[in-house]
Amino acid sequence: MAKKTKIEVDISRRDFVTVAATAAGSAVVASAVTTGPLSPFGEFKRRQLTGESEEIHPQREVRWGMVVNLDRCIGCEYCLRACSAVNDVAADKPWNIVLEDQTTTGRTFYFSRPCMQCQHAPCVEVCPVQATYVREDGIVMMDYDRCIGCRYCEVACPYDARKFNWDERTDENEYVPTWGHPEVERRPRGVVEKCTFCSHRIDAGVANGLEPGVDREATPACVNACPVNARTFGNLMDPESEIVYTIASNPTVRLREDLGTDPSVFYIPVDEL
Amino acid sequence: MTSTPVQRRRVTPGLLVWGVLIALLLGVGLLSFYTVFTDGLVVTNLSDSIPWGLWITVDLSAIALGAGAFALSAVVYLFKLDRYRPIVRIAVLVGLIGYTAALLTLVADIGRPDRFWHPWVYWNVHSVLWEITMCITIYLMILTVEFAPTISESRFFNRWPIISRIGHNLHRLAPFLAVAGLMISLLHQSSLGATYGVLKARPIWFKPSMPIMFIVSAIAVGPAITMAAAFIIEWVTGRRTISHDVLRSIARFSGLALLVYLYVRLWDLAVLTYYGSTPGSSSAMSMLSEFTPYGFGFWVGEIILGIIVPVILFLVPRFNRNPLNLVLGAGLAAFGIVVNRWNVTVSGLVVPLSYSPGTAVQLEPGSYSPSIVEWGVVAGVIGYALLIFTLGVLLLPLFKKQGTTPSE
Repeated sequence: MAKKTKIEVDISRRDFVTVAATAAGSAVVASAVTTGPLSPFGEFKRRQLTGESEEIHPQREVRWGMVVNLDRCIGCEYCLRACSAVNDVAADKPWNIVLEDQTTTGRTFYFSRPCMQCQHAPCVEVCPVQATYVREDGIVMMDYDRCIGCRYCEVACPYDARKFNWDERTDENEYVPTWGHPEVERRPRGVVEKCTFCSHRIDAGVANGLEPGVDREATPACVNACPVNARTFGNLMDPESEIVYTIASNPTVRLREDLGTDPSVFYIPVDEL
Repeated sequence: MTSTPVQRRRVTPGLLVWGVLIALLLGVGLLSFYTVFTDGLVVTNLSDSIPWGLWITVDLSAIALGAGAFALSAVVYLFKLDRYRPIVRIAVLVGLIGYTAALLTLVADIGRPDRFWHPWVYWNVHSVLWEITMCITIYLMILTVEFAPTISESRFFNRWPIISRIGHNLHRLAPFLAVAGLMISLLHQSSLGATYGVLKARPIWFKPSMPIMFIVSAIAVGPAITMAAAFIIEWVTGRRTISHDVLRSIARFSGLALLVYLYVRLWDLAVLTYYGSTPGSSSAMSMLSEFTPYGFGFWVGEIILGIIVPVILFLVPRFNRNPLNLVLGAGLAAFGIVVNRWNVTVSGLVVPLSYSPGTAVQLEPGSYSPSIVEWGVVAGVIGYALLIFTLGVLLLPLFKKQGTTPSE
């Protein structure tokens, strides 16, 4: 018992070749299947990972975006209320969040935040069932009929923009009818939900020849509700649009640009002094 | 350790107590599963800031602890180390139990269990989680085929010789299954770490060492669990079925692999806290040490109890001669894995996201402790694992060609 057991390793050249070939083969298969020219997913990957950016789609005509002017925001939460009424969002988990914040110089300001509608959205990359995707016009959408409720997107989102339906909703929406009427269905228990830039308004508006950002019926509820015009909405691809002018004539930042998510929401920073 | 043959089909008092314990666990589990399915995930203590918790920890741990199946199959069928052949069946059984237990927990964890099949139909090839789902599906099939011969040889099927013939033919596939299992396991065991490693928004997760630590720890602990299972079967049935030399060399392998894991883990710590630290990761680490017992869990749970003590028990000749020490070591190593998976999951989520630049306000760290229903589901899953293991030991010929086949 005290003697050390001797392990006899008998690996022939053939075994070695088998193992080496297996390892090499798996690497080749993996790269061919995911990225290689023979990949059945190649086109898909190109579309999903890069297809939404301007370089690949130079002819893209529409990318909806928003500018939030933090210097104007007074923290009234009208945007939150209008959003929660129109999208029938639970009061304790707003899609559109308003926080009181402080600059590093100590000045109080209000920081409001919808979904950033990233073009390289981390949530889209991680979803195991493609229940969330970037639309041709740049909006990150949810397919509530496909979501399995694994909440990986919620874990992956850098901006805390996603909310899970832990329970069946039976609450009465406290913002209805004062702040608007629900225009979309409530989401069922067990799926993740998020801000859609009021895509139902955009889609209906565009179909009827309206211009989102100009015509109120086609513009997100939060933008319409703002009493100080802190939010501007429009087409980032249209050089004539108000949003492009606003971005061109003001300093703007996007949140966590270092992550390479390419958000569609721009912020005009608050005056530090 | 007497080697008197056990009379089959006699219910001893010990077995009765054991059965009652399993029934209790399963009862609690069924009740908890029912609550989750009827009332939804609101019965958990999970939240939008900490959406993953105890159940994900159990998934990750169960899959890691089942890694003995692919490692030992590869050792026997690929490297042709024949002396380990007797333990392969136990390894595959433990693997099957681990993987099915993980799937069971996962069904409770997803918000829409009725849509569990969606990943098979709606593919997102860029999602690590999709890849893991597919790998686990395929690997479970491999494990089932690998285990089918054992089932077909049980006494129950003696009446139909065709079944044991099919089983025997399936057994010829073993080498191919071992190769496929090795590939798929290396992939998904690592990908479980990549699930966290690819998330660039989370400073203490986003690093290339994540998949490496997951795979190395799984390879270290999986075989040790199999080794412990073999010893426990020997104690319970009173039959010495697998030579202690073989089991001890598995323990020694696990000890060495744990040392490799320790090496990677400590370098990872050095990178995270010292020369690779970013503003995000250092504020996350200081927040963790201020608000959570992360440091204690890491040093005491993961490093000392989970790695150093098992390494001593597995590698020092004075200790590894005693089977009790080896089983204790395997238990501690498994405990270390569970603590590690918990630490990875929960601490990464406790640290709030920082998306707001140039501001002074730091968001509060989240907090989470599992609810009673969450523990109940885990109890049920443990009960399920013990039930299958017990049934396997009682009914299946886990030790072929050891002179104790049930044809006495």
